[in-house]
Amino acid sequence: MSNDGYFDWTAETFDLARVHEKPEALRGIRVLELTTLILGPATADYLAEFGAEVIKVELPPTGDTMRYVPPEGYFWRNLCLGFTPVNHNKYHIAIDLHKPAGKDLFKRLAAKSDILVENLRAGTLDRWGLGYRQLSEINPSLIYLAANGFGQWGPFSEGRASYDLLAQAVSGMAAITGFPGRSPMKSGIYIGDFFGALMNCNAILTALHYRERTGKGQFIEYSQGEGLMRIIDWTWVYQGLTGQERGRYGNRDMAICPSDIFPCQDGYVAIAAASDDEFRGLCQAMGQPGLAQDPRFATLEARLKPENGDALLDTIRVWAAGKTGAEVDALGAEHGFAAAPVATAQDHHASEHWRARGSAWQLDDPLYGDMVEYGPAPKLSETPGRIRWAAKPVGWHNHYVLAHVLGLQPKDIDRLTEQGVVGRWANRVGSKPPDDWVEGEGEVF
Amino acid sequence: MAERNLLSELEEERIPSEWPEWIRQRDDPAKAHVKPEALDDLLVLDVSQGSLAGCICSSILAEFGAEVIRVEPPGGDLVRKLSPFGIMHQDTGLGYLVEGHNKLHTTLNLETAEGRAIFVSLAARADVVVETFAPGQMDAWGIGYRQLAEKNPRLIYVAISTYGQFGPEAEKQRRKPHREVADQALSGIVYVTGEMQSGPEPQPHEVPTKAGNWLGWYAAGAWAAFGTLTALRYRGQTGRGQMLDVTGTEGIMRFLEDQVTWYEKAGRVRERIGLLDTSVFPYTFVRTKDGFTMIAGFSDVNFQALTTIMGRPELREHPQFKTFIDRLQLANKKLLHAEVEQWSLNYTADEILGKVQDYVLNKRGPGIVATGRVNSPTDALNEDNWWERGILAKVEDPVYGELLLQQPPWKMTGTPGRIKWVCRPVGADNGLVYLKYLGYGPKKLGELAKAEVI
Repeated sequence: MSNDGYFDWTAETFDLARVHEKPEALRGIRVLELTTLILGPATADYLAEFGAEVIKVELPPTGDTMRYVPPEGYFWRNLCLGFTPVNHNKYHIAIDLHKPAGKDLFKRLAAKSDILVENLRAGTLDRWGLGYRQLSEINPSLIYLAANGFGQWGPFSEGRASYDLLAQAVSGMAAITGFPGRSPMKSGIYIGDFFGALMNCNAILTALHYRERTGKGQFIEYSQGEGLMRIIDWTWVYQGLTGQERGRYGNRDMAICPSDIFPCQDGYVAIAAASDDEFRGLCQAMGQPGLAQDPRFATLEARLKPENGDALLDTIRVWAAGKTGAEVDALGAEHGFAAAPVATAQDHHASEHWRARGSAWQLDDPLYGDMVEYGPAPKLSETPGRIRWAAKPVGWHNHYVLAHVLGLQPKDIDRLTEQGVVGRWANRVGSKPPDDWVEGEGEVF
Repeated sequence: MAERNLLSELEEERIPSEWPEWIRQRDDPAKAHVKPEALDDLLVLDVSQGSLAGCICSSILAEFGAEVIRVEPPGGDLVRKLSPFGIMHQDTGLGYLVEGHNKLHTTLNLETAEGRAIFVSLAARADVVVETFAPGQMDAWGIGYRQLAEKNPRLIYVAISTYGQFGPEAEKQRRKPHREVADQALSGIVYVTGEMQSGPEPQPHEVPTKAGNWLGWYAAGAWAAFGTLTALRYRGQTGRGQMLDVTGTEGIMRFLEDQVTWYEKAGRVRERIGLLDTSVFPYTFVRTKDGFTMIAGFSDVNFQALTTIMGRPELREHPQFKTFIDRLQLANKKLLHAEVEQWSLNYTADEILGKVQDYVLNKRGPGIVATGRVNSPTDALNEDNWWERGILAKVEDPVYGELLLQQPPWKMTGTPGRIKWVCRPVGADNGLVYLKYLGYGPKKLGELAKAEVI
């Protein structure tokens, strides 16, 4: 295959150093969010990474619960590390929505927004007079997204709290993860939340396209559990056709053979080959080209027979045990089969590749300083995503939002502050600026 | 008068004042088919091969109304053969039956010059092209973004892989096929999922563990759809297309929360801890009389609720469980998990749900607890909720018959997604697509078939 400068061209076209010079796809789109934890905040965050102006409304003085849920209780410069990955590039305003004047401010912001994201329990905002029924009257082109565990209606939608892990449980996701004969396995990440947020964005962006064609807004609801049911691939159709239930198969893929994760000399390595070409490459790399002619393994159809797969995977296991992850990785690149060591966050931090792609994103934040975070996932040549600033303390951008969006004068804002309609952070880690902060420092407005 | 009163009462009855009924009338997916489609002005060419990520991207676009043309090699795409235990349903693998919907299925041999010329004439009027070839393959064929953009500057071109189209490793790794287990391994999710090692040597199940589904492909496909839709908005504003480089690896990496930052700032690497959780506890699965249930009550007030429901209020004063932070120490988590399980083993998952609902709905104390059975697929299929909500449904397809399939997960008042048909056999829509877009009648198609172009 001739590449004729293809990789030089992509290096230039996607050059991370030029990201900030380029336009943003969602510029001019305003998102108002009233959310907590991950599912709602991450939805608005993904949009913010691609240029939407996100106004995050929190209740003063403590704000979003996620401000207080860091890994093993670790706060860095009073910042909760669990909060930052889903709150980039946002404007933080704290409004007391229990007060009529607070509700009024929220409605005025909603009237000037394109998208509203909330993840409270079903019907909560409707009861507060701030739900879709009320807001769509003042802003008929509003796209309103409500995301939660079990949706807005139906048998499970009332009286049941939900979290990511409950979505993993009820959906069948946990049941198909883990090893046979062992317990269903919890994902090590909040997959229902982070993936759910992505699905939320997909619906929002289709609604935005429709709105640009027609001017019409709409209401969207998403249930985390249902979202995970959507992505457990062949589980349902398999049971429908065969009456058999999908089990847990460990790291082995029952629909691709070989595809598994094997112990190697210095860790674990994933190896997969689906096509016969890929499989021949693997057999070459293993120094056992004859395997590709063995009738038990010569075709994918034969390899997918469980007893043949058992024999093949055992052979690969023995081979991989004598190699390092890097050796298998390099052989995959040479022979055209999939091979990848099981990587950690430390590997990501050290990787020149993920750094050059902005997936380990180096950030210089005016309040917190240098930090590395996971960056925007898809890379766009003309309108790349970007991280501009980290999450901020509760109410950090009150003045900016009230002046910029609603045109309030300083004296109006002071009055609202005195009345407790808008507020700032509590004297609590997760909520407040770093201890060495002096009033005014790191503020950009 | 009386009659009019009766009518107005009925009228009021038809307009429910309660939110759940009000919104259900407007967004129940049972009514999706009469509503407009958001993306019905788009033409998408899905030329992906051997990776379901391309099909997942185009499924999402097709659910919202885009006209998606699958371009497969003559004989069909390899992904049609990736099926559990090799089971085929009318020559089609089960994975493909889940992601073949609403698409027109054509064949075209891109290894022939004529096939590539036909592809260019289709791409010249397409809005979106999706591909999963080895990075640089389409370019080497003269039908990559660089070449297509000259003919169609509005084109949004999506390339999906494991390592990406640029970066220090891209060229070196280009020959590797897009296999989702590699995306999972590199992304970091595998390292943090699975059972802890209990002895000096790990048992075969005490190893880094992948998500059981094709998560690498789903993450890549869903991010590809996301990127495409943002690019579509930019194109609407400026008329300009662009190229997207999407990997399943980075797709999942973005879901890893703060792991890279925690490593940088605290010097800590997230480890796999089985059913426990790094950031909150209790937030776990525990055994019950009839299987497993999920249970959570990690904030102080919710821990109070959980311990009250368990009839173990003294646990709140236990020195190892007293504060939120105490409950996050690994040894304490293990101990507390055992305490909760000792209680949960006396009940079925439904009995525990009943106890929680009694506490919450009858306001027997502060705080809330989340719980629910860890459903096997059969458990889920036996719950009415999912059928009533329309996420699971039996779909009648003219070719493939009745199939049980998951549905688009969103409910929308305006332009909901929907499944219109399940799948099509290899090349089944050649006649329609080539006639509609290129004016090829049966004679021309016959010639192309003879030349092994379609």
